[in-house]
Amino acid sequence: MSQIVRAFRPEVDNEKCVRCGNCQTFCPEGTVMVTDEGVVFDYRYCKGCGVCANECPVDAIKMVREA
Amino acid sequence: METDKLFDEYYEKSLLQGGTTCCPGCGGPLFWRMTLDALGPNTIVYGDGPCAMCAIRNIKLPTFGLHFSFVADGSTGIVAALAAKGRRDITVVSSAGDGATGDISFGKVSAAAERNENMIQICVDNEAYMNTGIQKSGLTPFGAWTTTTPLGKENPKKAVPMIIAQHKVPYVATVSVAYPRDLKAKIKKAKGIEGFKYIHTVMPCPTGWRFDPAKSVEVVRLGVETWAWPLYEIEGGVLKLSMKPKPKPIEEYLRPQRRFRHLTKEQIEFIQREVDARRQRLLENDGKRIIL
Amino acid sequence: MEFTRMMEGNEAAAWGAKLSRAEVIPAYPITPQTELISHIATLIARGEMKAQYIKVEGEHTAMAAACGASAAGARVFTASASQGIAFMEEALWMPPGRRLPIVMCMVNRALAPIGGLRPDHNDALLQRDTGWIQLYCENSQEVLDTIIMAYRIGEDRQVYLPVAPCYDGYFVSATAIPTTVPDQGEVDEFLPPYKHEMYSLMPGDYRRPPFPLNIAKARYEVQKAMERAKKVIEKVDREYAKRFGRGYDGLLEEYACDGVEAVLVTMGSMTGTARDVIDEMQAEGKPIGLVKLRGFRPFPTEELRELAKKYHVLGIVDRNTSYGSAGGGVVAMEAARALYPLDDRPLLLNFHVGLGGSDVTMRQIRYMADKVLETLETGKVEKEVEWVELLDLGEVM
Repeated sequence: MSQIVRAFRPEVDNEKCVRCGNCQTFCPEGTVMVTDEGVVFDYRYCKGCGVCANECPVDAIKMVREA
Repeated sequence: METDKLFDEYYEKSLLQGGTTCCPGCGGPLFWRMTLDALGPNTIVYGDGPCAMCAIRNIKLPTFGLHFSFVADGSTGIVAALAAKGRRDITVVSSAGDGATGDISFGKVSAAAERNENMIQICVDNEAYMNTGIQKSGLTPFGAWTTTTPLGKENPKKAVPMIIAQHKVPYVATVSVAYPRDLKAKIKKAKGIEGFKYIHTVMPCPTGWRFDPAKSVEVVRLGVETWAWPLYEIEGGVLKLSMKPKPKPIEEYLRPQRRFRHLTKEQIEFIQREVDARRQRLLENDGKRIIL
Repeated sequence: MEFTRMMEGNEAAAWGAKLSRAEVIPAYPITPQTELISHIATLIARGEMKAQYIKVEGEHTAMAAACGASAAGARVFTASASQGIAFMEEALWMPPGRRLPIVMCMVNRALAPIGGLRPDHNDALLQRDTGWIQLYCENSQEVLDTIIMAYRIGEDRQVYLPVAPCYDGYFVSATAIPTTVPDQGEVDEFLPPYKHEMYSLMPGDYRRPPFPLNIAKARYEVQKAMERAKKVIEKVDREYAKRFGRGYDGLLEEYACDGVEAVLVTMGSMTGTARDVIDEMQAEGKPIGLVKLRGFRPFPTEELRELAKKYHVLGIVDRNTSYGSAGGGVVAMEAARALYPLDDRPLLLNFHVGLGGSDVTMRQIRYMADKVLETLETGKVEKEVEWVELLDLGEVM
């Protein structure tokens, strides 16, 4: 599998998250999932576009620069 | 990893393979995921060439494609073959970009509509030839920068859905990935109708429209809210607006997109007047038969 | 039941498609192919033929629809001519690369400008590099038989390539000769239903051919299939002859060649006229034979080399031009390449005749045959390429 080049990665604050599901609905790649434990990301395929963070109504997702 | 397993199970069930080659923020995979959700597995997808191909490559259903300039034609053959075999249970979806649909294969789409071929024809409209590197198409809007219109496009956008509607096809609809429920409902409706169904979708393109990929869904949502991208359906010749939002100023749609950044105040006012006039006409004709 | 009656080439082609049980026919009308598709439309309207006839809006779409239908498992027939073939050029590259055994009649007609509506071979020869098998037919009977054979050839798992039975507009398409239409049951036994072993577009049974991603490898696959097609064409021809009593000697036919040392090489409808001239000349004691080139793609290289062992002069008649070529018409150039590696090469003459559909007259054929005999005698090629039509040869006969 080739490595995705990504400048930012999404990280979630599950305390803030209201489980609305916007991030999962609008993620272009289908790499966000709302589970019982909170939001999880598939970092193997996530391109770091930031749509999930932008669509989050409570700013629970932050885009963090990759190391 | 626990999460990896979770996603692998999801990809296994999904009709779109994870890890597309589309640009970050491209609406293509998003659109196909929603559309295939609505269509189900008994579907053949025909299409090739445009950016949308990047997403089509990841579709796990039977796909067939020839080349860029082949729109609605190979699918015509597939439909005929299914008819010859008596397979009425399979939905044929034919997809192309705006340049293929509106420019080079416009005649093919028109002819398939005239023959009322039993397929869903989708125009994935990102308003320019994006796969070749942002060149103007017939569906590029007025004023937009592309690499072949460095000073902005001089002419308005070709109104393809309205032209197709005049072929007296049973169903025409415009959709947007910012409104998934509306999109899926329209695709499902199209699947249930016999004959030529035309779906025109706006496709946010961060690369070609020059905006932050994070704003992909936001920008097309603004398109609907400012009436730059009215969502409607034309069923049996009758126009029905899918939503009538209180119009936001067009500038809110144009501003995040740097392809419009060179526009003067006068040009933006001109675009606003055009959008307003079209909104007026759409509202006047809402619920009415618009086919002569 | 088998029956025989007067039939034009186009009607014979329609019968060929019907007997082959073509299921999808996407076609666009163009002179001189039009009667073919109107015959098919009539057969379907009368309920005598069961097929989906798609009245497409242009040849480009016709070939694309043919590809879609073929990939989706239907047996496909179509036909075009001249500008129509040129217009579908882009689409013509698809079926060989995608390994789809479509059959398309190319009803030869000159290309514009200064083309008119009458035949020459440039329209089909323009497509020689696309990967289509091309078989040139002499008359209605051969057209009908070749279409049925074409499906067996193209759908052979050794081949999986599209096949174009080519025949001259008017001289074949619109000239009626007694034509035997075989029994449907016999044809059904000869030609089983189409089933592509590589392809299935059906949901649940989706199979794509394992195309090599390497372009050179993918093209080499087509090249290999084309080479294997030679044997298949010959085998199918023999089987056809055995069952129906008519055969065409595979890729090329030698006519009245016993004891001769020089031959004319013709392609298409002019062969019929040439047979008469050769008969006349042999009756006069002139030792000249005739070779009819039936297969142009794949080109019968080995067969031609065999001929070269027997004949010292070949007069190749080209009903086409290639402006600024290395020398002469397309067929002559192919032949030259085929013969070049031989140590003992025959002398090669090339004639341009019948361009733009003008008649190839008996007098012209006699002129060319005389030139060939003259060369045999002198052992010297006086003129490599000759435009016979530009000569004033007097009366037609």
